[in-house]
Amino acid sequence: MIKNEKVIENRVLDPGAGIFKLVLRGQTAKTARPGQFVHLKVSSTMDPFLRRPISIAGINRQLGEITLFYRVVGRGTSELTRVKENQTLNLIGPLGNGFTVPRQGKLLLLAGGIGIFPLFSLIEALDTSKVKVKLLWGAENRQFLEAAGLKTLLEKNLDYEVSTLDGSMGHKGLITDLLEYYLQAFNNPSEKESSILAWSAAACGPKAMLQAVTTICRQEGLPIEVSLEERMACGVGACLGCVCTVREASGSLVRKRVCKDGPVFDGGEVVWDEES
Amino acid sequence: MKKVDLTTQLAGVKLKNPVITSSGTYGFGEEYAPFYDPALLGGITVKGITPLPRLGNPVPRIAETPSGMLNSVGLENPGLEEFLRTYLPRLEKIGTAVIVNISGFSLEDYALMASSLPENSCISALEVNISCPNIQHGGMAFGTDPRSAEEVIKVTRKHTRLPLIAKLSPNVTDIVEIAKAVSGGGADIISLINTLLGMRIDLKTRKPVLANTMGGLSGPAVLPVALRMVYQVYKAVDLPIIGMGGISNWQDAVEFMLAGASAVSIGTANFVDPLAPLEIVNGLEEYCRREGYDSIQELVGLAHS
Ligand SMILES: Cc1cc2nc3c(=O)[nH]c(=O)nc-3n(C[C@H](O)[C@H](O)[C@H](O)COP(=O)(O)OP(=O)(O)OC[C@H]3O[C@@H](n4cnc5c(N)ncnc54)[C@H](O)[C@@H]3O)c2cc1C
Ligand SMILES: Cc1cc2nc3c(=O)[nH]c(=O)nc-3n(C[C@H](O)[C@H](O)[C@H](O)COP(=O)(O)O)c2cc1C
Ligand code: FES
Repeated sequence: MIKNEKVIENRVLDPGAGIFKLVLRGQTAKTARPGQFVHLKVSSTMDPFLRRPISIAGINRQLGEITLFYRVVGRGTSELTRVKENQTLNLIGPLGNGFTVPRQGKLLLLAGGIGIFPLFSLIEALDTSKVKVKLLWGAENRQFLEAAGLKTLLEKNLDYEVSTLDGSMGHKGLITDLLEYYLQAFNNPSEKESSILAWSAAACGPKAMLQAVTTICRQEGLPIEVSLEERMACGVGACLGCVCTVREASGSLVRKRVCKDGPVFDGGEVVWDEES
Repeated sequence: MKKVDLTTQLAGVKLKNPVITSSGTYGFGEEYAPFYDPALLGGITVKGITPLPRLGNPVPRIAETPSGMLNSVGLENPGLEEFLRTYLPRLEKIGTAVIVNISGFSLEDYALMASSLPENSCISALEVNISCPNIQHGGMAFGTDPRSAEEVIKVTRKHTRLPLIAKLSPNVTDIVEIAKAVSGGGADIISLINTLLGMRIDLKTRKPVLANTMGGLSGPAVLPVALRMVYQVYKAVDLPIIGMGGISNWQDAVEFMLAGASAVSIGTANFVDPLAPLEIVNGLEEYCRREGYDSIQELVGLAHS
């Protein structure tokens, strides 16, 4: 669970967007599942003090390697950029439950910004000869999309559609526009992709986006899994720092730990705006 | 090579070694079991229990600080009944001393919990939390006034024969005054410190980082304050002390024992290094061997002489 893994690669993909690729070799790859994360010790000193959670974006069992992508947003992630190849990095993981990997049917992937990273490992794990996959990905602009791995998707021949806030690529606007458009198309029996019933969805992104796409999917009767983010201390379920609120079948509200019970939850269960 | 005696006797509580894990940082003893066998520790302390289940505070509950962190969990817990039904049976198999941390909003709450927690179970002691900074009423309010502190311990004492640990808040002017009060109330052991009240503000939102505005500071940042308080209490009160606050390695643990702690408790360090408690057990043993002590308890209070 806690180990030092060898840094095979730690390289900037796009300096402007501050996106890095980190490849680690060790035991984690053996058991990791799509949607799980690792809790990284980014500094050998006490500053920054806490570990940082980063999703597992790629799993290569043959080479024993996991791939992570991270965006530099503060002290911890900028400290991480200093880690050199051949050094070791201390991590706890793989942690969390991960996404359901469907064997058949149709899977709609919904990504907001860097929310694409955990979905990469899910895409990798899908047998696309049996599962029809469509990705909708919303981001700020073209530069971000390209920096965050659009090329990889092209190489995989994945059916995808993007939206950007500034219109520099794909639809100008929000991912929810795309989602509504496609759900309507699925609903239309004259379309090839008919029978909305065969679809389910998996989403990762900012909370507001997850809430919006969950509402839309639920209206159309689509089951949706969402991967949540919360500030974490322990990462293993011991501190109760990272909770979300879930409404159980009985109607009562319970807390769940994003690190241990999640990060992936049934979107329909999550209580998004909870006041108390 | 001679074996160092690590056993530790705290009033009626016998521990195989002086290293315990702290309430709220070790779940109910299951989360760190994948890392090592908790039976290797002197004991574990479970999350604070209240009579009724609590959802705790909204998120964010965590904020990082220089060499430490703030938390505003707000005593989220399954409640007494669920603890007894689900968690206690599982703890029976843990193989080390189990300390149950209890919190309340009234004297009746403490009385209820003391009388409901079984004396003939795996529970080695009750830790009476009169020091939680994260709840509106009760909690720390009991721990910052000597008379209420004494009263809480007295009432709890009446309802159980289990050894009682009074957990003190550092958010007071005079820790010795409170320590004397809980001693007078009938506490068998004193543990300190709980977290220090603090806050942080986000420059982007220009609002407090924690949804609850304030939270409890823990981790290495609080160590000197905790150590000073252990030192003061050891001098003034004749009860065994469980020292905690920022301990992250065996060197820190030795300092606490020299200051007067008979046992040490590891909290926030678990989050950064899950193996820390185990390494501290080994480090303490190694230190004694190197320095020529046959028993770990010989270290207790040496800084005073
Ligand atoms: C399960 C999980 C998986 C994640 N996967 C990835 C990933 O694959 N790639 C990636 O780039 N990032 C990922 N993140 C987010 C990443 O953990 C945070 O960006 C990182 O911890 C920020 O650390 P920092 O010190 O650089 O920034 P800080 O200085 O700590 O914070 C900078 C900003 O980031 C926000 N932030 C801090 N911690 C978190 C957090 N845990 N969740 C959300 N926002 C936060 C703060 O509010 C602040 O505005 C993930 C988070 C979680 C919980
Ligand atoms: C996330 C978190 C939750 C805590 N919950 C409790 C609690 O329920 N009851 C209690 O008495 N102390 C609680 N504490 C306080 C710790 O037990 C300990 O007294 C304090 O953190 C200082 O030690 P440390 O610096 O080693 O963490 C909590 C601390 C943290 C960090
Ligand atoms: S981060 Fe500690 S419980 Fe999730």
